[in-house]
Amino acid sequence: MSSRRQQSRQSGASRITDDQIADLVSKLQQLIPEIRSRRSNKSSASKVLQETCNYIRNLHQEVDDLSHRLSGLLQSTDADSAQATIIRSLLM
Amino acid sequence: MKNPNTLKKKLASRFLKAMKKLKYKMSPSPPASIAEKKRRHRAVRAAAYASMASAVGPRRAWSRALLRKMKGRKRARRNPGNMNTRFGLNHLCDIVPGGEAMDSCSLLNETAHYIKCLVAQVQIMREILHSSSSSSTIL
Repeated sequence: MSSRRQQSRQSGASRITDDQIADLVSKLQQLIPEIRSRRSNKSSASKVLQETCNYIRNLHQEVDDLSHRLSGLLQSTDADSAQATIIRSLLM
Repeated sequence: MKNPNTLKKKLASRFLKAMKKLKYKMSPSPPASIAEKKRRHRAVRAAAYASMASAVGPRRAWSRALLRKMKGRKRARRNPGNMNTRFGLNHLCDIVPGGEAMDSCSLLNETAHYIKCLVAQVQIMREILHSSSSSSTIL
């Protein structure tokens, strides 16, 4: 990946090739559950980007929802035990 | 590639600290007004993005953009013309923090990292909710 970056710098005016973009787009493809579950490899770049936008918007919405619920619980949340639980689950 | 667990632990500890601070700032009685409820909601949400940005620090363009926004600094220059609009990157650059200043390659890289952090943050928030709502925390 870094060698590709150097190549594009050497060729002058920071031209980014379609190949580089396609490459990064396919990398993104792996992160999006919607597309991963579809089994077909044939998503076009613009489709992947569209799904990416949707996915991020959904994640923003989830953060908003969870913030709402957490703010309701704020009185009773015991931060220490929550932290311990999370760290325990990460170590398992 | 960073170990995802390290990132998650970092995110978790910052967010929990922020939540603790919020808790002490608030009055012990439940929120009286709708305005107060909204205020708390927005405070928790801000804490989520703030802890994401500070956990990642200046290493990433998106986190730098968020940190700038939090400190009230001006946005970075809008990227003059390197946007590959053919692929629909013009929407993505509005969604990823700092996207308007990035070239196409950076935008795609930053997006991938931003997604990973968002997913981790969401998991953490869910886990906190889950552990608070369960009656005991014995292993």
